[in-house]
Amino acid sequence: MAASQTPTSPQSAPLVPREPFLTKRRAFSIVGLIIFLGFFAIPIYQTILLEMVGDTGQLMQQIVIGLTKGTYIAVIALGYTLVYGILELINFAHGDLFMIGAFLSLIFISLFGLDPKTSSGLTIFFSLIAILGLVMLCTAFLNAGIERFAYRPLRNAPRLAPLISAIGMSFVLQNVGIFLGDGLIWGKAADALGSDALERVSTAMGSQSVAPKNIPDLLPNGQVFFIPDSLKYTYKDLLVVVVSLGLLAGLYSFVRFTKLGKAIRATAQDRDAARLMGINADRTISVTFLIGGALGGAAGMIVGLYNGTALFTMGFTAGLLSFTAAVLGGIGNILGSALGGLLIGLILALSDQYIGARWSNAVIFAILVLILLFRPTGLLGQEGGQKA
Amino acid sequence: MPNTKRYLITGGIGFAVGTFFLWNYPNLALGSAIIGGLVIAALCLLYSAPLPDMVKGGLIAGLFGAVMTIVYGPDKPGVAIIAGMLSGLGAGLLAFQRKPQATPQAGAALGAGAGAIAGAWTALALFLTAFVIAPAAGVDASEFAEHLSETVILADAMGLASDILILLFVLVFCTITGALLGAAAGAARALPLRPNIPLLAVIALPVILIPLIDRAGNLLLLDALIPIYIFILLALGLNIVVGYAGLLDLGYAAFFAIGAYTTAMLSSPHLGINISFWLVIWVAAAVAAIAGLALGAPTLPLRGDYLAIVTLGFGEIVPILFRNLGGGPPTGTLTLRFFGLPIGIEQMDLTGGNKGINPISPPNLPLIGNFEPSNKIPWYYLLIIIMGLAIFFINRLRDSRQGRAWMAMREDELAADAMGINVVRTKLLAFSMGAMFSGFGGAFYGAFIGAIFPSSFDFSVSIILLCMVILGGLGNMAGVIVGGLLIQGADKMFIPKGAELFRDIADQRALTTGGSTVGVSALQDLTQQRLLLFGIVLVVMMLIRPEGLLPNERRKAELHSDDDPININSVAAEADADPSLAA
Repeated sequence: MAASQTPTSPQSAPLVPREPFLTKRRAFSIVGLIIFLGFFAIPIYQTILLEMVGDTGQLMQQIVIGLTKGTYIAVIALGYTLVYGILELINFAHGDLFMIGAFLSLIFISLFGLDPKTSSGLTIFFSLIAILGLVMLCTAFLNAGIERFAYRPLRNAPRLAPLISAIGMSFVLQNVGIFLGDGLIWGKAADALGSDALERVSTAMGSQSVAPKNIPDLLPNGQVFFIPDSLKYTYKDLLVVVVSLGLLAGLYSFVRFTKLGKAIRATAQDRDAARLMGINADRTISVTFLIGGALGGAAGMIVGLYNGTALFTMGFTAGLLSFTAAVLGGIGNILGSALGGLLIGLILALSDQYIGARWSNAVIFAILVLILLFRPTGLLGQEGGQKA
Repeated sequence: MPNTKRYLITGGIGFAVGTFFLWNYPNLALGSAIIGGLVIAALCLLYSAPLPDMVKGGLIAGLFGAVMTIVYGPDKPGVAIIAGMLSGLGAGLLAFQRKPQATPQAGAALGAGAGAIAGAWTALALFLTAFVIAPAAGVDASEFAEHLSETVILADAMGLASDILILLFVLVFCTITGALLGAAAGAARALPLRPNIPLLAVIALPVILIPLIDRAGNLLLLDALIPIYIFILLALGLNIVVGYAGLLDLGYAAFFAIGAYTTAMLSSPHLGINISFWLVIWVAAAVAAIAGLALGAPTLPLRGDYLAIVTLGFGEIVPILFRNLGGGPPTGTLTLRFFGLPIGIEQMDLTGGNKGINPISPPNLPLIGNFEPSNKIPWYYLLIIIMGLAIFFINRLRDSRQGRAWMAMREDELAADAMGINVVRTKLLAFSMGAMFSGFGGAFYGAFIGAIFPSSFDFSVSIILLCMVILGGLGNMAGVIVGGLLIQGADKMFIPKGAELFRDIADQRALTTGGSTVGVSALQDLTQQRLLLFGIVLVVMMLIRPEGLLPNERRKAELHSDDDPININSVAAEADADPSLAA
């Protein structure tokens, strides 16, 4: 092999010549970007940065809000990253699974009859833990079922086929959300079975199936005792952060230290080689979808309780946010997703405050485009590990 | 295995349609089950049944004519004439598969048979409507007779006195026109011409006649047909990007929006600029094409699903821009400072915010004057001309050097690059050409509707367009048109009209049995629920027929590569036999 290489060069030349830095393509994108950035840089400095520095108390508050949001965005982003890592598929339906999680938690809360006014704190606490488990179980199996039905038959199809199938699934799930949110259907079921619990679900959903649903405010609302009063930080925020971080840590250690986690990593690295080593790739992928689904459901419940509402389109927006987070951190990388989630949360909170909530989605997408252009592998992704 | 797929498709579509109706009309459970399960199952079984092509084509095309007749029938029985024509034409096209040795006579015979079956099927549906469905929907016999004489052209002229005679006349007329058009289509298909001008003429005939029949019978079909055609035009543009160049674009509605907003801003009192439509439509197309370049340039290094996500982002950002650049609330608007100058970009009110821009000036022609919203005929013909030109140009573009470069790039970007294709230029041209056609579509849409809102261009529009392209067949224009007619026909005609009919039946039933009426509320969730249908269409199509209903031949071969896997052993044996390979 080496003998056939250019004999004139004394030292061994690399097999593939490095492409020059300034290819035509890159030049195109860089010029475009400079124009794009230049357009925004001056006003951003003159308006937003000055305003930020002007009121540090406000800034701190926004940072805290951003980090809190960031933790749950990270949990959703993990679902994307797991699936992308193992199948190289953008699981478009994951955001909607998250929405189903929020709806299921509202259903279970109503079934259990939890009410912030009448139920005791201890009941709420234990019921919520039970509900979290139930929601995670449901969404986990839902996700694995979707994989079995809509993605597995397309394992060897061209790459776009499973993506399109996932987009279709996303619409189907949104309609499942509408269906679950139809109080009239629950009312009919309640009448047929004579069940009070179902009647409560029907009341909680209301008669408008597409309207936003109110989730009772079950989390404690007091200020956390060790935080000064100037910074609003309630137990609710703390709880969201703790549960999210717990899930992140649990997942990280699962993938890092268990045998099944090892199988997941091996399958992600090279499915065929993993198969040759005796790993059941299909089962491993199913397990990945189970875990991803459970995380999505948990995130849905957390967000639902935190924001107090559930809407059937919430999955689309949240899904885009978290997908951006996953890409930002380096898709396929668990710690990267956590980092990306926190960053996106921060950006979101700052943009909401200083630019205007109506622009936030545009800001997030602009960031996504910038990342993909300059560092398609994300902040913590390995070079060459992904096909961008 | 093929059977499993057949059951899957039947089950999937049946489930979707059944759910749709059951959900909206729970007190019509039986009817819903019949619609959802049996009709669709019948269609699928027909498709795979061992019947001669003639009968199969006639029955399948006739089913659509029949559905159209039934959903419009109680109010506008005259629709049956158009339905019979169209289904006859469709049957003729379906029944006759082009073979080298086929003669026009054989084509005509087959087409005539199929067209007659389709026409008769439609006529039967009208009969059913007259005696079963119309009474069930609360249209009694005298009322129906009135509708019949109002909407059936020639009924007066022929002096048909009794209503039953008019009905019989429509029955015969449907069958005969169906047979004639089917025969013409079959004969034309058999001609070994390329381009096949007679075939195009046969297809164009009913398309051109529809407005006249519509006007004569006051059917108001054009209200639905024009948006359907606009969407088909958009889908043809998307087909360039996705089908030819293989770049999955999930934000195509953005270009549509850009075209429409350009038109709106340049020819409406909103900004005080009023340029003639005939100029603006070119400006809109150019602006959309430039926007295509602007999207294409930064995404050049991206491939596959990353590209999809960036285009999706673009598709989200553009409506946000249009929503926020104007009509903002007086407080808390975004004020940027540029070199110390405050720029209230939301106060400039470029786009009217959520309220959109209204009114937009219509086109104007010397003889016709302003195109009026009440008279759809000039609009229709203008759109037909735009579409005809678009189809012609896209067709030429596909066969040009550029088109072959797109397909080469779709197959293998690296190999195309190595063969000397300028990938940068090819990609950018794909984006901007695709965008240009949606610029035309957007400009026409803006002028036609006369008002635009940011909500008309959201993600679901991009998805519906993608659905049309995929259902019909990626990369095949005829397929895209058929897919567009099916999906948009369902979206704008069959589902809303069918839902209305079902509501009437439910209300009528409630009146006679004393139950509760369904009321208007049942119709409100329609927008979202039709997305369920499209979602299922996407999944099922990917699982069963990823190449679409009318596939592009090359694409089909590509997608079914796993059906005949390369035999590794034979390749190895060849390598052994050939010493030059072994070295």
